[in-house]
Amino acid sequence: MLEKYFTQLEASLNAKLNAKPTARRKFVYEIARIGSRIFNDNWSIGWTTVFVPYEILTSMGVSGMFIEFFGAMLAGTGMSSKYLELSESKGFSTDSCSYHRTIIGAAMDGLLPKPDVLIGASIPCNGGVKALKRMGEIFNKEVFILNIPIEVTPKSIDYLTEQFEQMIEYVENQTGRKLDYDKLKKSIKYNNQAREYLIEINDLCKNIPSPANSNDLKNFIIIVLLQGTKESVEVAKLYRDEFKFRVDNNISGNSEEKYRLMWIQNRIQFKTDLLRILEENYGAKIVIDELNHIWWEPMDENVPLRSLAKRIITHPIVGPAERRLEVITQLAQEYKIDGAVNPAHLGCRQSAGARVLFKDALQKIGIPLIHLDVDCVDERNYTPGQIMTRMEAFLEMLSNY
Amino acid sequence: MRRLHDVWKRYVPTKFIHILDIPMGTLSLGTSYLREEFNKLKIALEKHASITISDEDIKDAIEVFSKSRLIYNQLNSLRTENPPSISGTDLMNLTSDFFKMEPKIWNDNTQGILKEIKIKTQNGALNNNPRILLSGSPLHEINFISFIEEIGLNIVYEDLCTGSKFFDLVIKDSQDVLTSLSEAYLNRTPCARMMQIKERVNQIYRTAEKFRVDGVIHHSLKFCDTHLYDVPTLKTMLTEKGLNVLFIESDGGLGNINQIRTRIEAFSEIIKSKKKVKENSIQ
Repeated sequence: MLEKYFTQLEASLNAKLNAKPTARRKFVYEIARIGSRIFNDNWSIGWTTVFVPYEILTSMGVSGMFIEFFGAMLAGTGMSSKYLELSESKGFSTDSCSYHRTIIGAAMDGLLPKPDVLIGASIPCNGGVKALKRMGEIFNKEVFILNIPIEVTPKSIDYLTEQFEQMIEYVENQTGRKLDYDKLKKSIKYNNQAREYLIEINDLCKNIPSPANSNDLKNFIIIVLLQGTKESVEVAKLYRDEFKFRVDNNISGNSEEKYRLMWIQNRIQFKTDLLRILEENYGAKIVIDELNHIWWEPMDENVPLRSLAKRIITHPIVGPAERRLEVITQLAQEYKIDGAVNPAHLGCRQSAGARVLFKDALQKIGIPLIHLDVDCVDERNYTPGQIMTRMEAFLEMLSNY
Repeated sequence: MRRLHDVWKRYVPTKFIHILDIPMGTLSLGTSYLREEFNKLKIALEKHASITISDEDIKDAIEVFSKSRLIYNQLNSLRTENPPSISGTDLMNLTSDFFKMEPKIWNDNTQGILKEIKIKTQNGALNNNPRILLSGSPLHEINFISFIEEIGLNIVYEDLCTGSKFFDLVIKDSQDVLTSLSEAYLNRTPCARMMQIKERVNQIYRTAEKFRVDGVIHHSLKFCDTHLYDVPTLKTMLTEKGLNVLFIESDGGLGNINQIRTRIEAFSEIIKSKKKVKENSIQ
C-alpha cells in the first residue's frame, strides 16, 4: 500500500513540477522520491530519529527515513488515527508522543518495510530512541544508539566522531555495505553549497513583507532527508531564486502582512485550515520557523565525520535551554516578529517542557507568545473552533501591544 | 530531565546545580565519557566548596557507601524469607532516611536496627500476604508503599532507583577510581533509561525468583517516557515468564487513590486465587 502511495505521489508531483516548476513542488517531489526509495532493492533501509547524519547513511547506500517525519506524513494523509488506536490498544500511553505512537502502530500493522538498520540519537528525546527500540522488537533488529554529548568541547566532538565510526561498523555488519569515503566527502561539499542557499532563503524572509507565505517553508526541517545530496542544493537554490525574485519585484508571500509570527518547533501535521484563515482573514503570517534556523558552520570535507559530529553537538536543542532560548530570541529580533506560537505538542518534553522558559525569554524582549496545547499528530481531540478563538484573542492582543 | 534542570535553574534558587550527561545503551565508549563527566562533577564541587577532592577521599566515600549497601542488603535479605520479617514500608522508611542523612550516621543507626529486627522476628512471622516486586519510576512517597501493604500485599523488593535497586551496585578496585565508578554505574543492573529491556526483564525475573514474588506491580509516573514506552514490552515479557503483572500510572502521590486501590485489590484477588489453585493441585 505504502509503495503504491509513494509511487503515485512521485508521479503526480513530477507531472505538477513539469507543468509549473516551483520550489515547494520540487521539495515535496524530492521527499516523495526518498519515500519511494525505501522500496528500491538497490538501497538498504534505515529507520532513524531526526538527528542522525544522513550524509553517512547515503554514502553507504542506506536510505534513511526518520520516524518523526513518517508520523507527520501519516497524520498529513489522515491515517495516523488508525495507528494511534492500534498502539494505544497494545498499551502505549496517550501521554507519550503521538509521532512515536503513530510509527509504532504503523510498524505493528505491517505498513512499514523491514529495516536493515535502526539508529536512534539521544537528542532531541529519549522517546524517539524508545520508539525505535520497540520497532527493533517488531522487526527483530538490533538498534544502534548515538549518545549526543550536551557540551561543545573538542573531547565531546571526538566522542561523537568515534561513535560515528562504530555506527559505520554497525551498518556494515547489518547490510554488508561499505562507506564510500569519496561520496561522503562530496556530500559535505553539497551540504556546504545547500547551506549557503538556505542562509540566503532565511535572510530573504527577514524582508517586510516576507516573500514566503506560512506554508512555503512548512516542515522544511525534513530537508534533512536530502542532506548532502545534489537534490538538496537544487531545492535550496530554487527557493532562493523564487524568494529573491519575489523580493526584487516586491511580491509578498500573501496579500497582507499585518502580523509577523514565529512558529516554535513542529507544525500541526494533520489537515487544518488554521494558517490559511489566519493569513487570509487576519493577515497573520509565519515568517520564521524556529527549526529552519541554520545553526551550523560550514563543514570541512577533509574531516567529514568530525564536521558532522560538530554540526549535531552545536544544535540549539542540545544541552541546556539557554542555547535554544538565545536562538529563539535572536530569530524574534532578526525577523521583527510581532508574536510567537508554540503548539506545545502534547507528549513532547522539549516544546511543552520548556514552555515557561520560551515565554520568559520572549517576554524580556517584549514579544508575546501563545501556547496552543495541541497534539500536532493526533487529530482525534483537535478542537479547531477553540484553537481559532484563542488565536483570534492572541492577534487582538497583538494589535494593541 | 534536561528540561527539569533548565526550569529548576531558572526558578529555584540553588547554590549548586550541575547536570551529569550519562550515556545510555551499551557502547564501550561510554565508560571513558562518563569518567570524564564524573571528573567534571568533581571539579565543579571542588570549585563550589573551595576544597580539593583526592582519590583517597573518593575511595573513603566508596567504602562508606559500600558499607551502606552491605547493611541494606542484609536487611533486604530478611524479605527473601516467607513471610518477610521486615515490611516494605519499614525498609522504605530506612531507604528514605539514607537519601536525607549523612551515610556514616545512617550506617551506624541502621546496623542497630538490623540487630533489633533479628531479635524481634524470632518471635514469629509478620503475615502471609502475597509477595510483590515493585518496579518502575523513582518513588519518594513512602505512603505509596504503605498504601499497597495496607491493601494486603507485601512489598518484598523495590526495583526502583530510590529503592532496593539503588543498593545493587558493586564497585571494583582499579588503578583509577573514577574509571571504577564509571564502569560500575554503566554496567549495573540497567534501569529503563539504559534502553536494555531484555537485560532488565531478566534481572527482574531473577530477583522475583530469589524473593519468591507472587506478582509484579509496575508503576510509572505520568508523562514519564522512560517507563511509559517500555510498558507494553515489559508487561508481555514478564507475563511470558509466568509472572503476574499489574501496571499502574500515577502522579507519584495518592491523588487517584481509590481507583488505584480497586485495581490493586483486584490484582491481589487474582494472585490469591491463582495461589489457591496451585496449592490445591499440589495437594
